[in-house]
Formats: sequence, structure tokens, C-alpha cells
Amino acid sequence: MNSQALAISLDLINRHYQEPNRNRYESRYFWEELYTLIAASGFSAVEMPYEPVWQFGGRSGVPLNRYCVNTKYGTATEYRAALSAGGIHQVSGVTFDPNLFMRNDNLDFYFGASGHFANEALGHAADMGAAYFAISPSPYYGRIAQYHPDLESKQAAFTERTVQLLTGLAEKAQELGVTLVLRNEYWSLFGGPRILPLLDALPATVKLDVDTASLFVAGISATDFIAAHIDQIGCVHLTDTDFVDTQEVWKSPNPEFPHVQATQVFRDPGTGSVDLAEIAALLERLDYSGPLVCSARQTRDPFRALLRTRVMLNNLQN
Amino acid sequence: MPNIRYANMCHWKSIPYRKIDNFRQFYYEDNTNSAYYSDWDNILKYQSALGFDGIEIAPWDLADILPLFGSPEAFTEFARERGVEVIGMFHGAHASHAADHFDEAVRSGREAVDTIVRFGGTYMNTCPTQNYFGTGPLSRDQVQQCAKVMNEIGRYATDRGVKIGLHNEFFCAINLPNHRELIESTDPKLVHYCIDTAQISILGEDLLTFYNDYHDRISTFHLKDTASANQPDSVRYSQDPEITDDGTRWFWEPGKGELDFKGLYRLLKQHEFKGWMSIEYDGSPDMLASMAMTRYYLDNELRPIYD
Repeated sequence: MNSQALAISLDLINRHYQEPNRNRYESRYFWEELYTLIAASGFSAVEMPYEPVWQFGGRSGVPLNRYCVNTKYGTATEYRAALSAGGIHQVSGVTFDPNLFMRNDNLDFYFGASGHFANEALGHAADMGAAYFAISPSPYYGRIAQYHPDLESKQAAFTERTVQLLTGLAEKAQELGVTLVLRNEYWSLFGGPRILPLLDALPATVKLDVDTASLFVAGISATDFIAAHIDQIGCVHLTDTDFVDTQEVWKSPNPEFPHVQATQVFRDPGTGSVDLAEIAALLERLDYSGPLVCSARQTRDPFRALLRTRVMLNNLQN
Repeated sequence: MPNIRYANMCHWKSIPYRKIDNFRQFYYEDNTNSAYYSDWDNILKYQSALGFDGIEIAPWDLADILPLFGSPEAFTEFARERGVEVIGMFHGAHASHAADHFDEAVRSGREAVDTIVRFGGTYMNTCPTQNYFGTGPLSRDQVQQCAKVMNEIGRYATDRGVKIGLHNEFFCAINLPNHRELIESTDPKLVHYCIDTAQISILGEDLLTFYNDYHDRISTFHLKDTASANQPDSVRYSQDPEITDDGTRWFWEPGKGELDFKGLYRLLKQHEFKGWMSIEYDGSPDMLASMAMTRYYLDNELRPIYD
């Protein structure tokens, strides 16, 4: 495995949850220094979450959507030049999840807003030269159920509208030369193997995005899953965890913060129980050549996480 | 009962847990202080221990609070058990200057009032419209349109025991040239004013003069300091100026900037202000430290003047 070709996701910056010093994350200077620190830890490619929330309220220092990039840099091209000056020469992909828009009992609002911003995010991915656009096909199952207690009876209709939204995105992605991949989070309406029928309902250009920690949480063997679906996999996220969901936390409204017992679900890569070495070896044996992304979401210390991730990758090579 | 009670304007980012029962175990997962900022149980206890008996929430908190607690009433009860009451919620009256947005602006304001009532709050501090950049300068008619919306929301709020207080930011389309015009165009019986001490000073108002002039309209305060009073148009009217590129802070804890809070407290005494004062820590790197720092300053510098 050529670990230099791996990307690190910018989801390692904890933008949304309270902790001392998080105010830094909203200013441009923080990110511009971060790029150089990422490069110093051996990564020259990043993945970017696309977050519409920074478009509202004037907090455009967080460069995670088109509005913010244009506000601070003028154009995507100029932003990419700034990234390059910091040692980041590639945006491997852009991710998008629609949780922000599951906030009431109006599904027209949810699908309208999600569709609008997902299309914008896909366009932004193309502007950034990204190879893939990774979308979470549903919000948290428990967040949907919070506003739609009759979710089980609505599931077929919800799925149908999801297919419609994703089919439109797939067509646009193909035009833009970006691969649309479906994220496979444990908390999704389409988590684990539930994603396979959804994938089958979409154009063949749409691929799977495997998240190793999410599979572990759901009690699914990542190596078995990857081996079984290698032809459909368009992206792999190397994520780590110690958590196995035995109490249907995935169905709760806040599933990344298990209500039954506080825990950091996503651990810094290499510090959890996912056998990333075995997964990397399998991908090599299967000649997987698609995007590989390390993610340290929920880390308690992004700079430590960068170096921990590099240690993990160094160990893979040894 | 003191004349002034103290609250915190909620600037905590998402707090993911109600109460962490396995605190020690959670701490040991990575030996960091994340556990200390991850549940409402502790956040509210920090407030209560430091003498901040009220919390003013923000609409952007709802997406996290409601799934976590199930209802506004459940959050209020949880806070009350820890010695904190919900005093109200901030509201942004987006596009209230636009005549064709009247119905939507009023509907949204009424919904916010209804939410506050469910939380048991009595204040709705309201930013009258969006940022100057991309919107200003407003015409006289547009300012009057803002006033019309505020009066309409104010009427609905008053009928439900909620006071709406105009709350101006230094970068809003309502800005120095029309700030007082808006206040004076609203009905004093229905629309009050929340002085954000730093915001109006950066805007270009003199804090003491402004309070003196409008003391009978003041429903509550957002108390925070600044070392950046009287910013020029080029700053106030620029795009997204609230969060600076280089980390420069507009807002500081009371006593850490340059505002004359002792002068303000002498005026509060003169005008016999009674009510809630929310402390705001936007821009702070460490809200718990800011809260403790503020408590010391209040107890030793300001409360001896007027309590």
C-alpha cells in the first residue's frame, strides 16, 4: 500500500461539539496553518466534509462549503492554490450528510433542502477536482424516527424518494466526472447490508463507500464485506472504533453518542479494535485501486490524531 | 431578592449527552477533558455553582436539545433540578425589512415565541434583520417594515407573557444610521430592547448615553466587553465580519475590554433596573474559565455598586 497516496479527512476537526479552544476552528488562520501541519504529517491529499451550516450566520471562516470558499478566496481555483501553498495538492473527495435537514415532520422540506445542497456539494466537489462525492443516503435513523414516529410504515416511500434524489445526483456526477459513492454508516436507514438493495436500485456508476468502523459497530466483518462486494466499492474509509452496538444505539436520535453509555465511538486510527492491517492487506490482495481515506472524526486532539494516523500507516508498511 | 439576576447566553456548542453516568470510564478512554464538556448535567451545574441562575438558549441549540430531551419542557425541568431556569431564547427575524416577507417573518417570530413559552421563558431577544452586507443600506420604508414586523411579533409575544427585546449586532442592516429610528418606530408597550453592551459600542453608540436615553425600554442585557468600540463603516458593512480571519476578538469578558461597566452600573442604580442580565462569552476559548472570571468581576467590581 502506498500510504503517501492516502487522504486524511478534515472531519478530524471537531467543528460542532463543545471543547476548550474550539473557537479557533471558525477562523481562516486556523485552517491555513492546519494544511501545513497535515502536510508535515505526510499527507498531501484531504477529504472535505461539505457543511451548509457555515453558510448561515456569517461563519464563513470554516472552508467547508462553496459559499465560505468563495467568500474567503473568491473562487475554488484560488482556494486550491492556497491549499497547494500549504502542501495539500489534492482534494480526494467531498462528503455530505443530510442530518441538518431532518429537523421537522415535513419530508418535502427534508428532500428539497437535501437535494438542493447535495447538488451544490457535488458541483463543489467537481470544482475542487475531487474524484468522488460520498453521500450519506439517509440522516440518522433515530433522527428520522424522532420526527416521523411512523417511519417503518413510511420506509418504502422514503426509500423511493431517496432513490429519485440519488439517481439525479448520479447523472450529474457522471457529467462532472465525479464518482458518486454511498456512505454506509451504522446509524443509517440504509446501514450495513441494508444498503445493497438501495445500491441495486441506482445506476451502475454509483459505488459503495466502505467505512471500517461502521461495519465493526454493526457487528459485520469488514474483510468479509469487502471481499463480497469488492466490485461495487468505490471508496474505503479507514476508521477505527472499540464500540459494538448491542443495544440498538443505531436507532437512537444521537447515535454517535450512545445514550446507554458515554463513549468515543470513532477512535483515532490505530487506537481502536478494527484490524486495519488485515483490511489493508486484503485491499492489496484484491487489487483495490480506488480512494483510501483515513478519518479521525471525534478525535480529542486533531494534531495528535494526525500523528497517530501516520504511526498506524507506518506500521502497516512494516 | 437582588435587583439583578444573572444568566448565561448559551454559546456552548453541541452538548451530546444529558448526563454521563460512566464519567470516570469515559475520561479514561483518552485521558482528555472532553468528558468535562459533554453533558448538560455538568454544564448546568457549572453555571449554577458560579451563580448564573438562568440560561438563554439559541434557536440553533434546538436541533440538539430536542432529540436529547424529547421536549422543551423536559429540558426546562432538567435545568431546574440543577438550579437553572430558561429565561428565553434568541431569535433572528430574517428579512423583516422586506415587505414581501412580512407573513413569513411574523410566522417565524410567533413560532419562536411559542417555543419560548414551552421552555418557560419570558424573553425573546430579537435581531431585527440580517447582515448589512448584501442587504444595506435600508430605505426608510424598509426600516418601517422592520418596525411593523417587530410590533406584530411583540403583540403576539406580550399576549403570551414574553417580552421581545430588539438586539442589534454591529454588522446588521439595522446599523448606526437607523438604529434609533427603528427603536423609536416600534411600540414601546410591545417592543423592548436588549442592550448588547459590546455590540452597540462597536456599532458606534456610547453605552452610557444609549442606556440613559432608552432606560425605560430596556428589558434585559447581554453583558460583554470590547476593546473595539466605534468601528468604521468599512468594517461593519463588510462581508461576515463577526469571525475574523486572524483570530482578532471583538468580544471579551466583562472587565477585560475597555467599556465603562462601573459607569453603567451607576446608571442601573439611578434608573433602578430590575431584571435579568445575560453574560455572553462568544469568542471565548474557554467558557468555563470565562464564566468564573466574570463571576469574580461581578462580585468584586460591579455588584458593590448595584446589586
